[in-house]
Amino acid sequence: MGKDIDKFTTTRRSVLFGAGTAVVAGLTAASAAQKQGEQVTDAPVSDKTQERQSFYGVHQAGIVTPRPAAGMIASFHVLAKTPEEVERLFRTLSQRIDFLMKGGTPPEFDDKLPPSDSGILGPVIPPDNLTITVSLGSSFFDQRDWLINHKPKQLSRMKASRNDALDADLCHGDLSLQICANTPDTNIHALRDILKNLPDLMVLRWKQEGSVPVLPPKADGTHETARNFLGFRDGTANPDGNDAALMDQLVWVRQSDEPSWAQAGTYQVVRIIRNFVERWDRTPLAEQEAIIGRKKASGAPFGGTAEFDVPDYSNDPEGKVTALDAHIRLANKRTKTSDENRILRRPFNYSNGVSKSGQLEQGLLFICYQADLEKGFITVQRQLDGEPLEEYIKPIGGGFFFTLPGPANEDDFVGRTLLEASGHQMTRIKS
Amino acid sequence: MKLKITLSASLFAITAAFLPRVASAEVAPLDLVGPIADYKIYVSENLEKLVADTKAFTDAVKAGDVDKAKSLFAPTRMSYEAIEPIAELFSDLDGSIDSRADDHEKAEKDPEFTGFHRIEYGLFSENSTKDLAPFADKLMADVTELNKRITELTLPPEKVVGGAAALMEEVAATKISGEEDRYSHTDLWDFKANFDGSRKIFDLVRPLIEKSDGEFITKVSGNFDKVDVTLAKYKKGDGYELYDKLTDDDRAVLAAAVNTLAEDLSTLRGKLGLN
Repeated sequence: MGKDIDKFTTTRRSVLFGAGTAVVAGLTAASAAQKQGEQVTDAPVSDKTQERQSFYGVHQAGIVTPRPAAGMIASFHVLAKTPEEVERLFRTLSQRIDFLMKGGTPPEFDDKLPPSDSGILGPVIPPDNLTITVSLGSSFFDQRDWLINHKPKQLSRMKASRNDALDADLCHGDLSLQICANTPDTNIHALRDILKNLPDLMVLRWKQEGSVPVLPPKADGTHETARNFLGFRDGTANPDGNDAALMDQLVWVRQSDEPSWAQAGTYQVVRIIRNFVERWDRTPLAEQEAIIGRKKASGAPFGGTAEFDVPDYSNDPEGKVTALDAHIRLANKRTKTSDENRILRRPFNYSNGVSKSGQLEQGLLFICYQADLEKGFITVQRQLDGEPLEEYIKPIGGGFFFTLPGPANEDDFVGRTLLEASGHQMTRIKS
Repeated sequence: MKLKITLSASLFAITAAFLPRVASAEVAPLDLVGPIADYKIYVSENLEKLVADTKAFTDAVKAGDVDKAKSLFAPTRMSYEAIEPIAELFSDLDGSIDSRADDHEKAEKDPEFTGFHRIEYGLFSENSTKDLAPFADKLMADVTELNKRITELTLPPEKVVGGAAALMEEVAATKISGEEDRYSHTDLWDFKANFDGSRKIFDLVRPLIEKSDGEFITKVSGNFDKVDVTLAKYKKGDGYELYDKLTDDDRAVLAAAVNTLAEDLSTLRGKLGLN
């Protein structure tokens, strides 16, 4: 410990007095050269603004797509009641998402009219790795007689778990949009575009934005899992999103008892989980690690040395290595049967402001996907109920949604299979 | 295959709605003279009523008649809310007549907090007319002054036409939540007046674009009708139910109608060739 402090002090002094090691000096020189000629209010530069995801495919984008740095969940009250209105909603949404994910130049109107685009990304919209994922809540089906028999079998209104203190203004919704991109500005631009184009069919109920800390690329090309606001890696044990067979098993709905229109969709769970970060930061490191079940710096499980080492609980029945009530052990018992309870997590960290007590309103915008809601999130959450981590976290919002199958191509739109299953003849055909 | 073709055609129909729109150039400035003159009459009528109603309201406050003052609060405000875009042209008076507690640093205790909502706070929150007389006198004086200033004012056409959308923006931004009349919960009265005021402007200029933009006229009228039908569900006696009676679903219907009207009416100035 004393050694670490010395090292820290030395480095800091090096920087402060400009008499540092070669590494420190090198860094300083590089940034000085880079900054030459730059002005204070110049836009920060990114070489990732042209990264583009496709809206089309068997599944929607934004699920197995590697998570970018910025994400948002927006939940809506849907006013579209009739099949014709729902068709217009789905088609307009698809048309906007198609444009926003591709990027391009929005139409120019007469300058006596409000502009077609907010302009916050400039006159040409960069794709910036944007994905927009459309999902429906239980109420979307419940409040439309003609859809009630077509509801995905496991879709329900999220119920409060033991530790939840749900705020009605941050819960549920008829429709959710998960909007993700390299920068939060791209997400905000997309949300504003959609609100502007669908004012009569959707009303925004709540939204939560989040981010993920960015790391420099590693020389050996390997990746590591991002950290949450508790300072721990979050998602290490995620199933491999590149393993199509595994995703078919765990994420994409393929069950024969689910409606055929819903095949290739998935269940989305959103949870806004407040973290009591001041208290957490005042908790001894060993206790933090015991509560989570991993070493904080490396992310390695107890008994392992590297992040992706798999904990072996079979040799530790009494919890001497990893406490029996450690978060990762309760969440995933690492047995043959617990394999079917795995979920694909895709969370972001959020930071909202200051509570009435003067504490930081921070936490996790937890998002996960699974083919089977009961076997997935609901089971995992039940296993976690009562865990020691609850002292430091408080879920305050979220909801359950069903993520629609992907639109096949540019002639298709999201939600078409549902409308067809309901017997609706696509009536909004004008030439 | 047939499906594919029809889908394609239909997607095109949507895309067409987003093609460049051109503001109507067919409306000559002179065409607006009639509607603006008519609107001036509408404003005068509302001001006249506002002055008379405010007199009765403030008299009741000063007479210490809490019940009567309470019953007059919501109806008195309606003629102000109907012409709010014009009334707001004088920001000093708008502040002293219609500001809310949270416009002031010390909220309800702030000495600058005057006008309708200060009196509303006394009547509905404290159930008393105690210490309200000076606020009543000030409100009466401010309303009288407002009447005088507006009577002398030449109404700028862009403010009149823009007022249709401005009223919707007000409702969308700070009224749909029920925060306007937070002590009395008589927000639905204000809504009704705001919508009527917006519709009046729309109806006056409507003949100028009826022929060139029939689809727009139908859509906007439809949304005004939707608001009327929704508000009518809450009619009670001469007025409306308290705001907390509004169901979440109806609040969403109103919010969507307001947002859509705000979007559509934001093009009204351009359609009439105004800057």
